[in-house]
Amino acid sequence: MSKTPLLAVEDLAVEFATYGGRVKAVRGVSFSVDAGQTLAIVGESGCGKSVTVQTVMGLIPIPPGHITGGSARLRGREILGRPILDGKDIRGDQIGMIFQDPMTSLNPTMNIGSQIAETLQVHRGQTYKQAFARAVELLEMVRIPEAERRAKQYPFEFSGGMLQRAMIATAIACEPAVLIADEPTTALDVTIQAQILDLMMELQRSKDMAIILITHDLGVVARMADEVAVMYAGQIVEKGSVDDVFYRSSHPYTLGLRAAMPSNDREHGHRLHPIDGSPPDLFHPPVGCGYCARCPHAMRVCAEQPPATHAINTSGSHYSRCFLHHPDARDKRVPGIHYPEAGA
Amino acid sequence: MFRYTLKRLVQGLITVWFIATATFGAMHLVPGDPLSGEKAASAEIQANLRAKYGLDKPVLQQYFVYLGNIARGDFGISFTQKNREVNDIIREHFPVSATMGLLAILFAGAGGVLWGALTALFRNRLPDVIIMFLVILGISVPSFVMAALGQLSLVKLNAFFGATVLPVGGWGTVRHMLVPSLVLGLGTMAYLTRLMRSSMLEIVNADFIRTAKAKGLPAARIFSKHQLRNASLPVVTVLGPAIAAITTGGFVVELVFAIPGLGRYFVQAVQQLDYTVIMGTTVFYGAFLVFMVIAVDLVYGLIDPRVRLQ
Repeated sequence: MSKTPLLAVEDLAVEFATYGGRVKAVRGVSFSVDAGQTLAIVGESGCGKSVTVQTVMGLIPIPPGHITGGSARLRGREILGRPILDGKDIRGDQIGMIFQDPMTSLNPTMNIGSQIAETLQVHRGQTYKQAFARAVELLEMVRIPEAERRAKQYPFEFSGGMLQRAMIATAIACEPAVLIADEPTTALDVTIQAQILDLMMELQRSKDMAIILITHDLGVVARMADEVAVMYAGQIVEKGSVDDVFYRSSHPYTLGLRAAMPSNDREHGHRLHPIDGSPPDLFHPPVGCGYCARCPHAMRVCAEQPPATHAINTSGSHYSRCFLHHPDARDKRVPGIHYPEAGA
Repeated sequence: MFRYTLKRLVQGLITVWFIATATFGAMHLVPGDPLSGEKAASAEIQANLRAKYGLDKPVLQQYFVYLGNIARGDFGISFTQKNREVNDIIREHFPVSATMGLLAILFAGAGGVLWGALTALFRNRLPDVIIMFLVILGISVPSFVMAALGQLSLVKLNAFFGATVLPVGGWGTVRHMLVPSLVLGLGTMAYLTRLMRSSMLEIVNADFIRTAKAKGLPAARIFSKHQLRNASLPVVTVLGPAIAAITTGGFVVELVFAIPGLGRYFVQAVQQLDYTVIMGTTVFYGAFLVFMVIAVDLVYGLIDPRVRLQ
């Protein structure tokens, strides 16, 4: 019997009602994470990665948002659409979250310490004094120098990197089982990025946290993740371990992303190869594969039918949503695409 | 913070000096003077009186005497009222106006924040539509109409109960103060409601509200600790000018409700060209407003830490 994953999302579908019609932002996304593991969700802007995790956290406004299907289970218990378990809000308690822009994600009129303390007051029933003392410890834990003095300061007195550290301190205050990081380093400069990522990994090791990392930076993925889910047009198009996805890429979009990544490799002549075209209109998602209009290997069937997922390795942990892996198309043998070994 | 306060106070003093100078200049540009009324005496008597009051001296000299007196807090003696010093008039009647103004500000501030927050919570639903309709009324109907309507409804109210529940006019107890203050604060309340509504709507979508939700805070706490304070910042900003609007609007309301405030003397003095009373009350009001605005700015620093250090 396989054990229940810590957090499992299945077939999640989210739509937004707008003046222009209904946007199908997420169209059947499934993934799971276990304690101590890091899952990275990558994809370009608007592919639905943020909406996915914000839906799990109950942060999308309903309406206009609308969860049209799927489930999200924390230790086997449904949390989708009502983030309350046993009368307690799981947000901030069991699942912590940090956001992209630390400059605007903290309340400008409340000091940093109080903002961290708040979580402990609400979830642990601590007094303000206890919670504030703990907040100072947490600030020390995320390596903010002179934590005692800093805790009494306001967000405008902090730098971007320090604010993100404070955000992390807030998110881990109640020692959550899952930490969701929605592009945690996008707004920070490169050296600070590395520090923040190292800090997250270190905290993960000491607390055995699961991390869901949303990013569009493949460098960050390679550094942090155990598993990678590549999202495109509201769907996961390829998923597998970091090595599988990076070295045995089996979806043309993943290949495209890799080619578009800056590298120091002489062979590539330092040239970036952008993916031509733009993502499909999710007001009217295409009948077939979402990537078909931009895919250099598209076949007629790609525009006509939605591709199914095809297992790439024998355990099925690495899969790809692409017709190239359909038994009838296997002899096409596109260079660069990793094909499943016999038996998979 | 200390330097900032000091700087603001010095700026305030300069502003008051400007007000005093402008009033003095305007006064002397108006044709006629307090001695050329309908009881006009012969030219000789007028000249004698002018000499007695120093009105025949060069304007510049009069100006410096006037500034010197103001600096010592002496606004002189009324030209038209027997044996009354301007200081006495202010001392006697300003507290009445100030009490009414303060109550009005309280009504306006509390009401504006409350109604504004409410309309934002019920955005585009019935309570919002009703309140916003009343707000438009409150902004566009002038205070003398409101005052008259307020008085009329007081009459009806008292007639309905067959006793004086709330007096129709006059001054003295809290019951006298309620309706005039409410009428006086109504326009400002309407304005603040609109301001609060838009700033609440802006805050609701702010990133730090999303963070607060992600922390699992109860809605009531998010509202009180995160939304209200940040949303009321713009309201506090306009409170200074709002005080000005309320104190100047007070003249009309005082007249309708027969309240012995400073406003009546102010208007009377202008009609009678009572130099000392006009200049005294104008400079006094001006100084009061300038320092109220400064006080509001200092309070703003208490609410918004970003202002404190600058």
